[in-house]
Amino acid sequence: MSRRSKNIDLRTLEGVITFFGSHHAIRAEGLLKRHEITAVLIPGPREISPNCGVAVRFDFNRKEEVRALLQEHMVHFEDMHHYPER
Amino acid sequence: MKTLYLDNAATSWPKPKSVLESMRLFFIKGGGNPGRSGHGRSIGAARIVVQTRELLACLLNVRDSSKIVFTKNATEALNIAIYGLVGEGGHIVTSSMEHNSVMRPLTDLQNYGREVTVVQANAAGTVNPDDVARALREHTCLVVLTHASNVTGAVNDIAGIGEVCRDRGVPLLIDAAQTAGCVPIDVEAMCIDFLAFSGHKGLLGPQGTGGLYIGSERLSEPLMRGGTGSLSDREEQPDFFPDRFESGTLNVIGIAGLGAGVEYVLNRGISAIADHDGGLLQLFLDELCNDRRYQLYGRCAEEGAQPESRTDLCIKQTGVLSLNIAGLSPSKVGQTLDREYGIQTRVGLHCAPSAHRTIGTFPDGTVRLSWGPFTTEKDVRRVVRALHAIAENEAT
Repeated sequence: MSRRSKNIDLRTLEGVITFFGSHHAIRAEGLLKRHEITAVLIPGPREISPNCGVAVRFDFNRKEEVRALLQEHMVHFEDMHHYPER
Repeated sequence: MKTLYLDNAATSWPKPKSVLESMRLFFIKGGGNPGRSGHGRSIGAARIVVQTRELLACLLNVRDSSKIVFTKNATEALNIAIYGLVGEGGHIVTSSMEHNSVMRPLTDLQNYGREVTVVQANAAGTVNPDDVARALREHTCLVVLTHASNVTGAVNDIAGIGEVCRDRGVPLLIDAAQTAGCVPIDVEAMCIDFLAFSGHKGLLGPQGTGGLYIGSERLSEPLMRGGTGSLSDREEQPDFFPDRFESGTLNVIGIAGLGAGVEYVLNRGISAIADHDGGLLQLFLDELCNDRRYQLYGRCAEEGAQPESRTDLCIKQTGVLSLNIAGLSPSKVGQTLDREYGIQTRVGLHCAPSAHRTIGTFPDGTVRLSWGPFTTEKDVRRVVRALHAIAENEAT
């Protein structure tokens, strides 16, 4: 996790994108950041996906915008979840 | 005596300083296993792997970087593609200029009943696309060809061959061990379905790196299966890219170096590198081409006699010149270059017996000079002086 992302309050990011493999998780994080959408890589929560070890936390309100971006750039993801920090 | 390394076709040296720096940083500050955990070191390693994949995708014009999988070298990449694509009773087309990294798997497959047609290359070492078209059959399942010969450096017309294969619906696998990082490659424009590349030659990365671009769903079976960090609750191999073809921990420190090497190539520009290599080839030709003591091989030998026909030489031949000196064995020339002049070359057969038969240098081989992005005109003049002295001594 980058130093900068440590300052982000994860409670404000209620969405989690899960992936099959880490390649796409890393790409998603970079892509969203380049489009000025806050994205933080987190250990993949086991409750929502048994797949890849990493997931991306993001602002769930921007779900459709994020979905379109990922699809346009061929970033394959498993699902998007509403999964607030506990 | 300061040595001069002219064996870049075997492995490039020196590398850009950034390659070592990138590997050092990973060793000291990184060190995690990519895709295995969500902690900083694991994510840091995964970022390096993704970044290198994206740089390669940019260099080769690959749209989806996940379709580039890392291997330990071009040979492994070729084996994955060849064994994965050749089904029961399939017919394979290749050329007489192939390296043993292609010839040995194909010879093995022949022992298991697969048919192989070897298209004869010309004396320079290139294949005519029409000859490839004529070799195709109803049940041809693969065309595998080298982009450029490791013996002569002669660059094949891959776009022309790619068009033939695309029209006939036959997958094309290209061995880019000699060209990735030296000659422009565009997998889309050249209709390349699969591309095997080495990381430690023109791409300037460390040894132990290479990869395979998988641009068609026809290749679905990996050679190896194992841990990928993904689908950890299941015992079946993942079916998605790149994980399906990347079992076991990757050579991340090598991939870190490879990324820096590719970045160097992109920054300097692939055309600038090709021009540099072509310029040094011209210099060699100016000195050696009309001198009867030397037998030169490759496309420069066909076209080199007339300087005006040498335009675009850099896209016809890589930074490789194979030659022989009349009356001397390649091994004797190589030994003298090394021991008396400090010039390191490769001599003899270059793991490609069929290629040597094609250009008429079997079984003695050639003296192969192969330069790189850091070789200078002064270096070339030094080699030419040494060659002239060796040829002179032989005459007296």
